[in-house]
Amino acid sequence: MSPYSLEVAHANAAAIDTVAFFAALADEMNANPDRFSVLGEAEMDAVLVMQSDDHDFCINLRFEGMRCDEVVEVLADVVHLADFCLEGSLSAWRAMFSDIVENGRATGMQTINALTLLGEEIKLVGSDPMGIDKFSRFNQTLQEFLDGAVVAFASTMKP
Amino acid sequence: MKVDPGTYESLPDVTPLGSALDWKWLRGAKSEWGVHPKPSPRGLTMLDIAVGEYGEVPEHPTHRSMAPRGADIDPDTVDMGYILNRKTDVWADNVRELYEEAVARQWSATRDIPWGELQELPDDIEHAMCQLCTLLTEVEMIAADLPAKWMWRMNHDFIEAKMFLCTQIMDEARHAEVFRKRALSNGGGLLVSRSSPTSLLRTIMEAKTYTQASALLHLLGEGFILDIFRMGEMISPTDVEKRMFRMAMQDEARHVAYGTMHLRYAVQQDPDVAEEIHEALDHGEQVLMDFGASPDVATALAVLLGGGVEYIEEKGFPLAFEMNRKQFTSYLARCERAGVSRLERTTVPLDFLGIDPDDIRRAGGVSLGANASAS
Repeated sequence: MSPYSLEVAHANAAAIDTVAFFAALADEMNANPDRFSVLGEAEMDAVLVMQSDDHDFCINLRFEGMRCDEVVEVLADVVHLADFCLEGSLSAWRAMFSDIVENGRATGMQTINALTLLGEEIKLVGSDPMGIDKFSRFNQTLQEFLDGAVVAFASTMKP
Repeated sequence: MKVDPGTYESLPDVTPLGSALDWKWLRGAKSEWGVHPKPSPRGLTMLDIAVGEYGEVPEHPTHRSMAPRGADIDPDTVDMGYILNRKTDVWADNVRELYEEAVARQWSATRDIPWGELQELPDDIEHAMCQLCTLLTEVEMIAADLPAKWMWRMNHDFIEAKMFLCTQIMDEARHAEVFRKRALSNGGGLLVSRSSPTSLLRTIMEAKTYTQASALLHLLGEGFILDIFRMGEMISPTDVEKRMFRMAMQDEARHVAYGTMHLRYAVQQDPDVAEEIHEALDHGEQVLMDFGASPDVATALAVLLGGGVEYIEEKGFPLAFEMNRKQFTSYLARCERAGVSRLERTTVPLDFLGIDPDDIRRAGGVSLGANASAS
């Protein structure tokens, strides 16, 4: 992980609904091409929506090649422009990331595929079935990206 | 780079042994000499080299040989007996992209699955996983056999489509490998095989045209298997199975993407093809419903979904029903996207499954180009 991402992650250890947290995840991915090169290139635009009483936090992630090249907060009214959108409550996302931190990777019903297939806490939605299918086409890459929270998040919890 | 026609005039007309020589290839065969496609950041892709005449895929190729598209081809080349000679027969607008994706995302069932992390499982769960893997080992190779049956009949000008289908064949070989390995690697083994899967496979193999075959295989069959892989990942007892299903899911989704866009292209170019596809799906849906309801598939999935035989009625069957609803919803949305709406024609019991056709229309009836960035 780059010094930059460590710094950012330290500053935002508990906040997953921030651009900084996802920037740290992107840094973790981009700093470890060996982990992603075995999976091959991926091309997708994904929006993650974290819903809370205050507001909906929407983050657009653009994956290109073996990198996550864009991490941009977007307005709720443009999320349909992405290939697919993952919508859930902030508490559901927290539970998913907690599982990753606790186990070193997502396990059981806390993988992003399982959560969205059940669709009770996090939903997979999109305006085009071909875009939605990209969730399946690049699923291992997306899961590996999210599993990066072990480093980008958990290591920042050290005193 | 233009070459002076006189540059190579002094070359010999015969070999040292007296055989006639032909320097046509050097003296200016018809070609786009001087073309310099630029590699993308990923390298030189099939999309990068689809430039000028080389990138133009004819609607009706004039040749029936294996001569490469864009070459200066003799008019008397041998006829290879191709029967799929219209672009609409095999093409999809995303086929070059999918080929590159397939090549980039190949994986190894030997190396990339953490087999060393397999754990001893409760007896019923191991049985159910082995039964699911038995079924998947059986059905996966249809998606290799079927392209193989048709590929040698496809005009060689559609080389990118044939190349993509080659990747599909490799993918399916790997799927048969990984599910066979899982069945045999944890103390279980291959379990029951009955006639129901074979009936489905035979229906797919016996399709009268390639487009019908693609509808049955890519859109219907692989679409359903994709959802079974997604289910398999969700209910996997360990990370070994989770990774196995995730990797297979990625491949399967590419095949579905090709089929959906092939059918869309075919229907866009010739709306009459839609009826041909509908006929195939009328029969295919019925066979698939029989397959889904067959006791080995339904019970093994329900045991895994429920987490054991003791939870099968309380949790397993209700969850299996919910998964069926999702499978048909995804399938019907893809049909809309492909331009072959099944909502007025399907015999799938939509009311019983709780599927609202209006939701499907909204989800699937979009135009091309919806993949723009949100940022």
